[in-house]
Amino acid sequence: MFRKLKGPVIFLLMFLDVQVIVGSTPICVHGHTGCQTLSLADLFDRVIQHSARVHGLSSDLHSEYEQYFLPSKNKISKINRNCHTSYILTPNGKENAQRLAGEDLTGVILKLLLAWRDPLSQFHRSMAQHEDFTSFSGNKALEMSDMMHLLGMISNSVRGLISNEALGPQASSSEARPMNDQQLLYCFRRDSNKIQIYLKILKCRIAPEQGC
Amino acid sequence: MMAARHLLLLLSQACLLLETGSLAAAPPLTASEAPLESPHFTACLSREQETFRCWWSAGSFRNLSQPGALRVFFLKKNSLSRTWMECPNYTASVPNECYFNKSYTSIWTSYCLQLRSRHHNVTYDERCFNVEDIVHPDPPVSMNWTLLNVSRSGLHFDIIVRWEPPPSADVKAGWMSLTYEVQYRERNASHWEVLDLETSTQQSVYGLHTNMEYEVRVRCKMRAFDNFGQFSDSIFVHVPGKVHGKESTFPVTVVFIFGVVGLAILFLLIIFSHQQKLMVILLPPVPAPKIKGIDPDLLKKGRLDELSSVLSSHPLCKAEMYREEPWVEFIELDLERMDAAEKTGCSDTQRLLGLVPHLGSSHRLAAKDGDLGRASCYEPELSEADPAVAAAFCLRPRVTSPELQSDRPAPDAGPAPVAGSAPDGEADGRPVIQTQLSTQSSVSMDFYAQVSDVTPLGGVVLSPGQQVRGPGEKGEGGDGQPLKNQKEGQKKEGEGGVEKEVPLPLLIVAPDSGAYTSELGNRQIGSDCSRREAFQDPPAEMPQPPPEKNAVEQFALIVPPAGEYQSPYFIPPTPQLPPVADYTVVQDVDAQQSLLLNPSTPPPPSMAPVKPPPAMPVGYLTPDLLGNISL
Repeated sequence: MFRKLKGPVIFLLMFLDVQVIVGSTPICVHGHTGCQTLSLADLFDRVIQHSARVHGLSSDLHSEYEQYFLPSKNKISKINRNCHTSYILTPNGKENAQRLAGEDLTGVILKLLLAWRDPLSQFHRSMAQHEDFTSFSGNKALEMSDMMHLLGMISNSVRGLISNEALGPQASSSEARPMNDQQLLYCFRRDSNKIQIYLKILKCRIAPEQGC
Repeated sequence: MMAARHLLLLLSQACLLLETGSLAAAPPLTASEAPLESPHFTACLSREQETFRCWWSAGSFRNLSQPGALRVFFLKKNSLSRTWMECPNYTASVPNECYFNKSYTSIWTSYCLQLRSRHHNVTYDERCFNVEDIVHPDPPVSMNWTLLNVSRSGLHFDIIVRWEPPPSADVKAGWMSLTYEVQYRERNASHWEVLDLETSTQQSVYGLHTNMEYEVRVRCKMRAFDNFGQFSDSIFVHVPGKVHGKESTFPVTVVFIFGVVGLAILFLLIIFSHQQKLMVILLPPVPAPKIKGIDPDLLKKGRLDELSSVLSSHPLCKAEMYREEPWVEFIELDLERMDAAEKTGCSDTQRLLGLVPHLGSSHRLAAKDGDLGRASCYEPELSEADPAVAAAFCLRPRVTSPELQSDRPAPDAGPAPVAGSAPDGEADGRPVIQTQLSTQSSVSMDFYAQVSDVTPLGGVVLSPGQQVRGPGEKGEGGDGQPLKNQKEGQKKEGEGGVEKEVPLPLLIVAPDSGAYTSELGNRQIGSDCSRREAFQDPPAEMPQPPPEKNAVEQFALIVPPAGEYQSPYFIPPTPQLPPVADYTVVQDVDAQQSLLLNPSTPPPPSMAPVKPPPAMPVGYLTPDLLGNISL
């Protein structure tokens, strides 16, 4: 199972880790000679760092958005939120996530990543149009662009790698409900947290360290 | 009692009408009752993101505080069923707590909880949340500190604090990512110092003071979330430093500060006291430009001697000075005579030229303005009766030689003899006999004539050539020829120049030439001058000298025999003096402006005229030449 998983996972991780791609020495996937081999744990660490960065960014965006645009907190609106990624079955608990197969977990991660490619670009466009947004968080918009680029790369690569069965049903972009910015930010924050945790669990699964 | 029940029912119905999403808002009070508080959820939190608990309180409804009076129902938003489920576990040990275990806890899902009455008809409170939003991690454990270093002064130290993540939080599996916050304070202080968030499980604390006890604590929260957990137990840090370190350095610092202040004051005092000097040192005055020449300050302050020295040192001035008055030194003035003559009321020139009738030969060459020459003749003992002008034969130095040269056709500038006319009574009206003065060049003229005698009428009898004396000297015969009329052969063309307007009885100078003429042999000079051997009777000699245009060097001076004339002049006997020539023709003036004399002509004792060398300038007129002279 792991061998079957390893290839696409490594490939995914390689594309997630932009730094690896632009590194000076080529990375060996299958242990070819004459190239630099990165351990899986290192790859996972880098990816986890990236995902943590993404999650922190999304959290900041969300809180700033709420603070800036919605000074009065409305609990009702919080409750009625329903993200477009709700169709994706994700483990909601630690045991559930740990019990999940590595392949499935990887699939979940990829699904999530793919699902967020289009909404993020949409959000980026809407952010640019927003007059207030330039003062809102300029550098954060830049980071969002980075994330967009990253996710775009991932999605394109993943589509070729992973079979459609593993991916499961996808919500086409036409079905996606138009979300307002606040809801989008809320959902993205939640999903980035999911991705981060799933990656950590996956790392513990594939490259176990002490205490995993 | 019944009223209270009814009231309560009313109130509960009022509550039902309220929006379910609102939290416990106190219903309006009845008139006489205390403010009522309906049952509500007090808190819901999760410690490890795997389970969570909720607590409620009955509020003012005392009757509902019994267990089981209130019920909690929850709803998961992601589940398809919209049925409310009751709290899976009412904690037995803790009242009013509902515990949701792992199976009931779903992260990233929205929960809604309701607080209902027992019989499902009254909902007192409702809360909705996501579990990850209510996570408050447990405090870290196993905190300890180690000393990093102590400062050199022993007053400060640094420590590093380490801890362990809470055991409930599954950090290793990556289920939770925690960040920590360390706080410390001095033992008895009230304000906590907060350090930055730290992801790792250690933190360095810098700048702590020795001999002081510190309290350190730490708490944590989930990364990218805002809910901090409880603080850990505090640890106490104490590093004993030098016991008297602070006190021992105190006086040192005090002394140092006082010393610095004292030095600064001293420095300022010095600066203020020597301000002027310092200003000069720091900003020296710019010296005025030194221009070579005369310092105007000399003129201002009246230091004429310095000025004259400066002027003399200047080459230009030197020439000027000498050119101006080259013969100043050679002329003597007999001031006594002059005074005497003035007393008689005669003008100097008249006296000189014998115009003064009673004076006769009392001539006086008065010094014109600026004429300070000393005559070579010296006659201190001339008779008072005729305070004549034996000294008057002192001639002024020639001032304008070119002027003198213009009119006389004499080839040479001979010495302009000053011949005082020695009128024998006729000299008074005698016009000026002027010898011709040829002034070829100032240098080669014979400028000097020695007056050996002065006639009573004021005529001047010139002596033959004689050595020219140095400046200021009297004539060589001056010592032995006390007669004023015995002068060095000094010519003063200036005298002639001055007198040229006046037709002088004295033969002296042609008015336009300014030359001095000598009256040879026809003057009766002061009788005492008769001592001179060189004296001749000018008239006797007149025919004798060849009619030359050249200057006759020698004059015949009449030395009247003693007693023959009523000569006012006396020559005191000076036997010891050797006979010398009366005058010497000045050959030339050399570069140093000294006179070059013709040494070759010893003065004949007689009145024989000396034949001048052909090159000699015409300076003297012999009496026989007098007739050739046109006035």
